[in-house]
Amino acid sequence: MNSMKPNTMLSIRNLTVDVDGKTILHGLNLEIGKGEVHAIMGPNGSGKSTLSHTLSGRDGYQVTAGEALLDGEDLLALETEERAHKGLFLAMQYPVELPGVNNMTFMRESLNAVRRARGEEELDAVSFIKLVRARAAEVKLDPKLLKRDVNSGFSGGEKKRNEILQMALLEPQLAILDETDSGLDIDALRIVADGINALRSPDRSIILITHYQRLLDYIEPDFVHVLSEGRIVRSGNKQLALKLEQQGYGWISGEEAA
Amino acid sequence: MITLEKQRSWFEQQLAAGSTQSLRQTPQWLKLVQKEAVEAATQLPALNRKHEAWRYTSIEGLLRNSFTGDEQAHRENQAAVDNLMLPDFDSYRVVLVNGQFNAQLSTYGDLPPGVRLESLRTALATDPDLLATCFGSTANHTENIFTVLNTALINDGLFIHIDQDVELPRPIEVIYLHLSEDQQFMMHPRNLVVLQPGAKATLVEHFVGATPSRYFHNNLTEISLQQNAALKHYRLQDESRDAWHLSSIYVDQQSHSDYQGISLAFGGAWARTEYHLNFNHEHATCGLSGLYTVGDKQLTDFHLTVKHRVADCRSREQFKGILYGEGRAVFDGHILVDKDAQRSGAQLSNDNLMLTRNAEVDTKPQLEIYADDVKCSHGTTIGRLDPQQLFYMRSRGIDEATARSMLCQGFAAEIIDKIDLQPLREHATEILVDSLKRVSQPEVGR
Repeated sequence: MNSMKPNTMLSIRNLTVDVDGKTILHGLNLEIGKGEVHAIMGPNGSGKSTLSHTLSGRDGYQVTAGEALLDGEDLLALETEERAHKGLFLAMQYPVELPGVNNMTFMRESLNAVRRARGEEELDAVSFIKLVRARAAEVKLDPKLLKRDVNSGFSGGEKKRNEILQMALLEPQLAILDETDSGLDIDALRIVADGINALRSPDRSIILITHYQRLLDYIEPDFVHVLSEGRIVRSGNKQLALKLEQQGYGWISGEEAA
Repeated sequence: MITLEKQRSWFEQQLAAGSTQSLRQTPQWLKLVQKEAVEAATQLPALNRKHEAWRYTSIEGLLRNSFTGDEQAHRENQAAVDNLMLPDFDSYRVVLVNGQFNAQLSTYGDLPPGVRLESLRTALATDPDLLATCFGSTANHTENIFTVLNTALINDGLFIHIDQDVELPRPIEVIYLHLSEDQQFMMHPRNLVVLQPGAKATLVEHFVGATPSRYFHNNLTEISLQQNAALKHYRLQDESRDAWHLSSIYVDQQSHSDYQGISLAFGGAWARTEYHLNFNHEHATCGLSGLYTVGDKQLTDFHLTVKHRVADCRSREQFKGILYGEGRAVFDGHILVDKDAQRSGAQLSNDNLMLTRNAEVDTKPQLEIYADDVKCSHGTTIGRLDPQQLFYMRSRGIDEATARSMLCQGFAAEIIDKIDLQPLREHATEILVDSLKRVSQPEVGR
């Protein structure tokens, strides 16, 4: 089971996933090396969100075959929170509002839960506030939003920046950014992309799930994959994304058929 | 079902058992009030499913038990009181042990001039004429057998009287300490609170008893707010989980007065709180808020009757509940707007978070409106924890139990945040978090 290459962060083999009795992912394979940024593109309904939800352990996604190893460890056997402890982070397409739950309290609880699991000491309130303020400045999040309820009444851009702030705090090994560009205007997109670029590092791998090439103008991926009908049907470099932008997804399925 | 016969025989029995405890020196006028109340009790209907106000709140369990008055209620338990002291809470503290004022445990020596805070017993002995003017001026002694018992078995409680334009610099804190080990005690504290024109005060009532002691606490509080008077009234009910608790609160408001009642109910096997509030003059405002948690073998009931009798008054009623295990809650909020009460405003809401399938809430918001120029609304919700919220938190490394507790605290925050006394707010949060630890088998909605 631990037959991964030493610099592999995530290894997905033959991943087959059902949702409500319908097979959405059909034996998906994907290898992601340490420090690499991979973009996964694909038309609606191709299985992009199913992939991110399955990797993060959401209920209702039935794995019927295959495996996913994070740094050699069986990811799919872990509870959602344990995956976070192991360094997996999912920035959501639609960050959830938590009325009555203070943003600062939430992030502190989250960071300390992860630190505890890693055998690190918890941060006290003062050190945490210092840290979160510094990180918030980096992702250009209005510090007032730290005092509000999590995502409640935040604009689309503020919600996405709040996600990137959490990523900056938790310092994950593997971050999955699910349609992070959706609903953002060009200025907001640039700020979010800057935040993500600042978090690129040789020890951190990133999966960008996106429908459009636009995000990739700001975050340059090492690899681009096309997901179609639950499989990776094509992989390449960023030129592949440009071609998709110009010609759409039709030619890929056409070639497949040919 | 409770029959009239069963109810009467229980009533007679408690009346006899409690009489040994009654006041030695009862003013003549009070004797008359008591006699009339007891006589009227024979005409009171049975409190069973056929009685609308008691339809969902059975008194059968209570009536299967009998109680006695505590002969040694003057005992001291400094340790228990010390244990209850909120850190950094600077108050005028009064302690009632098993319903009786305890001078040794109370500390309120430096009251400002114009403020009377004393045991009802003392006030009845020293100033019976003044008490005659306020006793029963807002309450209905014969609302039900319990208010009659309270009236007939009076032996103590508090008298709070604040003169015109006096503002109390610190809250009055009343601790009802219940010590009941071998015997099942009953206590019927009676409180009279009068705020003269322009007076302002904060009152904190704290009801405590250690589980598993069994007792019946049956208090009746009359509050009279004269014009421009303002009272903030916090109630924290943390009774033994084997106790019965009934609070009957009567509030009369004159013009431009403001009453803010915030009631948190966590304890008790059977706990009911009734608010009866009357707007008697124009431009008065009131807010009634509450939070309750109920788990296995618990029933908590809030009954509100708010009467907009005159024009230009505003009321806001907001109650939230968290239910788990086989917990049961009842909410009945009745707002009446008379035909002359034009330009009234009333907003009534009751939200319930059900953590398990076996919990049950019976909620009944009622607006009864006879005026035609009013702004009134009511709403009720019954919901479960949102699985998306739980997933979101868990994906950030927070374990499920903590996530659930945080979401419940978030749900309760709207009420808890109304407490503007920090030590009390923190204490209430602690009790809430403790209570949420009892949630064993969560179920999440889909």
